[in-house]
Amino acid sequence: MGQTIRIHHVTRIEGHARIDIHLDEAGKVRSTQFHVTQVRGFEKFTEGRPYYEMPAITARICGICPVSHLLASAKACDAVMAVQIPEAARLLRELLHCAQFVQSHALSFFYLSAPDLLLGFDSDPAARNVLGLIEKHPEAARDGIALRRFGQQTIERLAGERVHPAWVVPGGVNKAMSVDTRDLILSDLPLAHSIIRRTLRLFKSMLDQFPAESEVFGNMPTLHAGLVDADGRLQIYDGMVRFIDSAGKTAGRITRPREYAKWIGEAAMPDSYLKAPYFKPLGYPEGIYRVGPLARLNVAESCGTSDADRELLEYRQRLGRVVNGSFFYHYARLIEALYAIERMEELLHLPEILDKHVRAEAGVNSLEGVGIIEAPRGVLIHHYRVNEQGAITGANLIVATGHNNLAINHSVQQVAERFVDGMKLQEGALNRVNAVVRAYDPCLSCSTHAFGKPAYRLRLVGAGGEVIEET
Amino acid sequence: MSSNGTRPRIAVFKFASCDGCQLSLLDAEDELLAVAEAVEIAYFPEASRRMAKGPYDIALVEGSITTHHDAEAIQRIRRQAKTLVTIGACATAGGIQALRNWHDTAEWVRLVYAKPDFISTLKTSTPIAEHVPVDLELRGCPINKHQLIELISATLAGRKPNIPTYSLCLECKRRGNTCIMVAGGVPCLGPATQAGCGAICPSMNRGCYGCFGPMENSNAHSLASQFRVLGCARDEVERAFRSYNGWAWPFRRVFEEVPRS
Ligand code: SF4
Ligand code: SF4
Ligand code: SF4
Repeated sequence: MGQTIRIHHVTRIEGHARIDIHLDEAGKVRSTQFHVTQVRGFEKFTEGRPYYEMPAITARICGICPVSHLLASAKACDAVMAVQIPEAARLLRELLHCAQFVQSHALSFFYLSAPDLLLGFDSDPAARNVLGLIEKHPEAARDGIALRRFGQQTIERLAGERVHPAWVVPGGVNKAMSVDTRDLILSDLPLAHSIIRRTLRLFKSMLDQFPAESEVFGNMPTLHAGLVDADGRLQIYDGMVRFIDSAGKTAGRITRPREYAKWIGEAAMPDSYLKAPYFKPLGYPEGIYRVGPLARLNVAESCGTSDADRELLEYRQRLGRVVNGSFFYHYARLIEALYAIERMEELLHLPEILDKHVRAEAGVNSLEGVGIIEAPRGVLIHHYRVNEQGAITGANLIVATGHNNLAINHSVQQVAERFVDGMKLQEGALNRVNAVVRAYDPCLSCSTHAFGKPAYRLRLVGAGGEVIEET
Repeated sequence: MSSNGTRPRIAVFKFASCDGCQLSLLDAEDELLAVAEAVEIAYFPEASRRMAKGPYDIALVEGSITTHHDAEAIQRIRRQAKTLVTIGACATAGGIQALRNWHDTAEWVRLVYAKPDFISTLKTSTPIAEHVPVDLELRGCPINKHQLIELISATLAGRKPNIPTYSLCLECKRRGNTCIMVAGGVPCLGPATQAGCGAICPSMNRGCYGCFGPMENSNAHSLASQFRVLGCARDEVERAFRSYNGWAWPFRRVFEEVPRS
């Protein structure tokens, strides 16, 4: 046995999430493993609860993107009721989701990643946080705060509560949108739009500074999966899941949510909390695929809104039609935030969005329901089975971080091999290991990265299990 | 004021939770810059064995205790904290994950995880106050940002924070809502729930599901009977009380005959 470096991450539901780097006797990286706590507790303790409680309960899985669980769950419930929800409700849900994309992408970029990108991976860890950012790059920090506030405020205007809104319900939403609310949101849009344009300019001007990161941050051929409409345009609320290979060829399509298990298998990993979903036709582990911003922009032919499409064109001119380096998740995330803002404007100008019919009422009409949406971090699947009374008899949730599990493992290994020398614990090197995980913005990379200490604990463990060094 | 003469130190700790409550601190964007100047904020994503030097003037604790590691860590946090504040239903009542307290945890761990011994999970999800003395608490799933700011400023100023302990109904009426339980027959936990959220759910035409937990001297029993009168089956009533704050004793006791020792 060699040595093990452990990078402890934040916890989610319970237990630890961490990265283990196993070294051989010579201090070279032997293998790495990314362990995550799954949301399985929810799948068990919700048994027996009525299906219509699921949106509110599962929203509590994650305080960063609660709207995603809320919506995936509501869609699964719509399927249990076998209803088509009113058009206004569909548009309002998408609007809410766009606002959530903006706030979540802003959190990810400005609060979690910008300190690394703008202050430097090797800068003083004590100041490498959003407060350090406020000091060194006050405009960027203020932009980040303002952009996130815009997203959060829109959610609040629509749904009455920011973290766990009670507005989305099975069959639609609880309350129609007023003209005043629409106008308020519309009046906020120009500021959000200019912030994201400014941020894209800033990011593009820095791209050349990270040659090593671009090269080894999960730069590997994998499949990509994401939602698109019939014309191949980017979708975040509804659509079909399209899988493409690393060259851009379509590998499969999930057109009916109920059939997801035909395409996605779930492998249990021997010593991790997290199951590893894989693309079934290719088997495990060859069926490795990625989800999230990078994957979505690879899978989609276009965004469907003008400014985002212009940015997408430039992105592809710089990086190619299919981008396989996970460092570019950041870039893709900013383009998506621009898309979400433009899409909000489109939605708000549709007269149907003000319609008063926003909720379909029905009981149980199907004993099974699946809801699939794009969470900011990637494809999210909620699958429920219910009995005739509507009580949950089984639930399966596949979260974005799950889909990315295999890819994160590969990426960590790639980075560790390049930057970690087991004989020396270098802050900058280990931060890069942490940062590659952050590029995927996994659900466990929470707000705690925002202030103070780096979000991991590092241990170097000797062959006999003794702690050689601890930070 | 601070214990060592410098800026007061606030630390944030997390156990089993969704991060939603501590995000409320981040969501106090406007106040964030002012707060950052007045206090030193130290975040601890994981309550680890080796903690940065205490003591802390205020320790904000999010999440419930679900592992042995948690149970030890909270003791160390208590020793370092001048004022320990629990934030949110997870920390004050065990949270939604306390639903597992009525299930066989060991069984599902065996069913779900490939190597069950990898997980050192406790059978129950319990509130912080079952482990250490708590000085102040903020209710809600999630907490209310204004209450959080009030609590921090009051504590730093050495006064008692102004956090109401009366029922949600008062807040609901003050907002000018028509009572959906009286007028619409919708079961609403408002009469037994502590105020503080601004009566969000009744304002959205739905019954309160009690995310702020039981109010002081809450008469949950009579509310449960009222739900029966409204036509709810016994198990529906039980589920209504057994949710985000289901493990809080005033809600739990409605359906548990044996009183807690
Ligand atoms: S109380 Fe609710 S919002 Fe707060 S951490 Fe727990 S689940 Fe999240
Ligand atoms: S709607 Fe609920 S909270 Fe409001 S007054 Fe009625 S019972 Fe109380
Ligand atoms: S009305 Fe009740 S359930 Fe809704 S936010 Fe307030 S306390 Fe929570």
